[in-house]
Amino acid sequence: MINNLMDRRTVIKNLALVIGGAVLLPSCLRKDGTSYVQLKHITLDADQQSLIADMVETIIPKTDTPGAKELNLQPFVLKMIDDCYGKKDQEAFLAGLGKFNELVKKKYDKSFSDLSTKDREAVLTGIEDSNKPKTGTAPGRRPKPQKNIQADPLVTFCWAVKQQTIFGYTTSQYFMTKLVFYDMVPGRYHVHYPVSKLKLA
Amino acid sequence: MANLNIDSVKARTFDAIVIGSGISGGWAAKELTGHGLKTLVLERGRDVKHVKDYPTTNKFPWEFEHHGQLPAAVTEANPIVSRCYAFGEDSAHFFVKDNEHPYIQEKPFDWIRGYQVGGKSLLWARQTQRWSDFDFEGPARDGFAVDWPIRYKDIAPWYSYVEKFAGIAGNKDGIPELPDGEFLPGYPLNDVEVYFGDHLKKNYKNRHVISARCAHLSKPNQIHIDQGRTQCQNRDLCQRGCPFGGYFSSNASTIPWAERSGNMTLRPHSVVESIIYDEKLGKATGVRIVDTQTKEAIEYYARIIFVNAAAINTNLVLLNSKSSRFPNGFGNDSGVLGKYVAFHNYSAHIGAEYDGLKEWTVDGRSPTGGYIPRFRNVYKQETNFLRGYACGFSGYRYQQHKYDGVGSTLKEGLVKGDLSPWYVGSHMMGETIPKESNHVSLDDKQKDEWGVPLLKISVDYDDNDEKMKKDYIEQLTEMFTSAGFKNINPSTNHQAPGLDIHEMGGARMGKDPKTSILNEWNQVHACKNVFVTDGACMTSTSCQNPSLTYMAITARAADHAVSELKKGNV
Repeated sequence: MINNLMDRRTVIKNLALVIGGAVLLPSCLRKDGTSYVQLKHITLDADQQSLIADMVETIIPKTDTPGAKELNLQPFVLKMIDDCYGKKDQEAFLAGLGKFNELVKKKYDKSFSDLSTKDREAVLTGIEDSNKPKTGTAPGRRPKPQKNIQADPLVTFCWAVKQQTIFGYTTSQYFMTKLVFYDMVPGRYHVHYPVSKLKLA
Repeated sequence: MANLNIDSVKARTFDAIVIGSGISGGWAAKELTGHGLKTLVLERGRDVKHVKDYPTTNKFPWEFEHHGQLPAAVTEANPIVSRCYAFGEDSAHFFVKDNEHPYIQEKPFDWIRGYQVGGKSLLWARQTQRWSDFDFEGPARDGFAVDWPIRYKDIAPWYSYVEKFAGIAGNKDGIPELPDGEFLPGYPLNDVEVYFGDHLKKNYKNRHVISARCAHLSKPNQIHIDQGRTQCQNRDLCQRGCPFGGYFSSNASTIPWAERSGNMTLRPHSVVESIIYDEKLGKATGVRIVDTQTKEAIEYYARIIFVNAAAINTNLVLLNSKSSRFPNGFGNDSGVLGKYVAFHNYSAHIGAEYDGLKEWTVDGRSPTGGYIPRFRNVYKQETNFLRGYACGFSGYRYQQHKYDGVGSTLKEGLVKGDLSPWYVGSHMMGETIPKESNHVSLDDKQKDEWGVPLLKISVDYDDNDEKMKKDYIEQLTEMFTSAGFKNINPSTNHQAPGLDIHEMGGARMGKDPKTSILNEWNQVHACKNVFVTDGACMTSTSCQNPSLTYMAITARAADHAVSELKKGNV
């Protein structure tokens, strides 16, 4: 809690430095004026929620297709971490969030939210590249997002945000209807089907 | 007042009572009402009407609060049911939560339950393989349990009878150990499944890969359309309840059929406390229930009673039905009630990769997969363990996505991707040997909220199971290796008995009243107007999925019950 408050002060201080002379925002509002999500099991203040929102937007940005904000992924990621992670995982997540802020501050002397898109991407891919999880496991009958709880809470935190962002994105209505076709009622099962006839996105 | 009482008794009197509305209770209801018997069907849970009460059935992933994932609060509060593969955000409402009906695990036992009209028939894996005489003759040949009082010829016509109504997809495979039935068109095997089947045919004497027979309407007949069901649409979302009635459940098939006869009274929210035995008449006269909503105790009366509460709960009802005639539980003169409980050993799996047939894949989804019938100790004893195992066998490919990076790289990776090579997977389905030491019993102090004693479950694996598991891994590894599969990855787990959801026995059938509870018609030896036709009646377990056999045994017993009623014998 103390760490969070300190981080928050730091963030506000840095913010003040950047935008110079701007009025400090009330803590119940995000920078963009939207209020933050009330969670049931964990406490994340406005800045922490903003950080996660910025990470989610960095992971799935708006390109020629909609990004996280447009698809409302930020509240989904928060909800998943709040509801679907156990207490231990949530503690690691929060510890990792603190470490993440420290790491960014140490390297850039700024908060993540104040970094350029390029720097934000560099932070996330940097952490990911130095902590590659195992890949290539076949999905089960009911694919579940891997929580990938790691020894290092920093990695736990970054992977939790990324995994739940990917999960929310790939199970979103937009993704499953516009980018791929989720065939809920196939009404068929053809075997010996040529791969060449398969419509892969 | 006296008249009122008489009227009330009359209103509570039926020709038949069926305890339970799951896969076997539904069949009892259909058969008995079909013969014109006024039948009361008691269900401890709530009513679930076909389609109307499948709240998640047409939901897209994004329409679930957690897109299909269960909250930690649910999985942490329910460690037992959370281990069930079918328990998810889309199906949790059809499962009993751990704290809703506690039981005592003297040894770890994952008791998976569905308390609602339809029971677990909404949730089952829909696999329907017939048994053969290699199964019914097993105990006698190999010297365990007691001899089954029936043989394949006794039940074969009833398999046909229930298959025609339920709708079973399968092929005529001509394998004596897995007799053919009345099939709708079978679902095809995919290329790698066919390849592996050909490999086994060439290199082994009696090993086959067949399309697993399943209770899906691949091509409905008129009898299925008459039930209001239609063709399976390959959704693979069966655990939600099927709006097409594409697979067999009590809810889609037997219960509405019984209802249409006009002879069924369905009473949900009714926990059966015990069966009433009349000392003077020398038979059962009814049951005592507790209404779960009003907590009121009520008696219902009938000439015959079918006990189909699901294997373990049927044991509970019988054990709790004590009288001066049956001080140790209903029909328990032999002392074997609650004993010789067995299950299926599902604790081994093997996966691998096949670097061939790359130009082929599948389109759409199959509701079933490949099946390797038991090949061990079939014609003679040939290993250091008794009996054997069947194997699930399925091949699959999937689009491989890339999860690296962030931004447009990631977005592209999540949409695009090449098809993976073929992966194959098999799971073991092993027969276990019923033993006296594997038993259930009543706790003498603790009771549940309906005043019924808590059940103590004491069921475990044994040395035979361990040897069989080792053999499964060895044989499958050898078969996979010789087929050219790569990256073969066998794995075993220590899943508790029960998670197979194939618990059986406790009130076994047998020829001798001294060593069994039920006769060859599933009548309690010592009280012929009580029939037990769910998993509790099973003398041995075979390795085939048991539900189809419960259906056939139930239809056969109901037919016998009706003819005995007509003759005035019960």
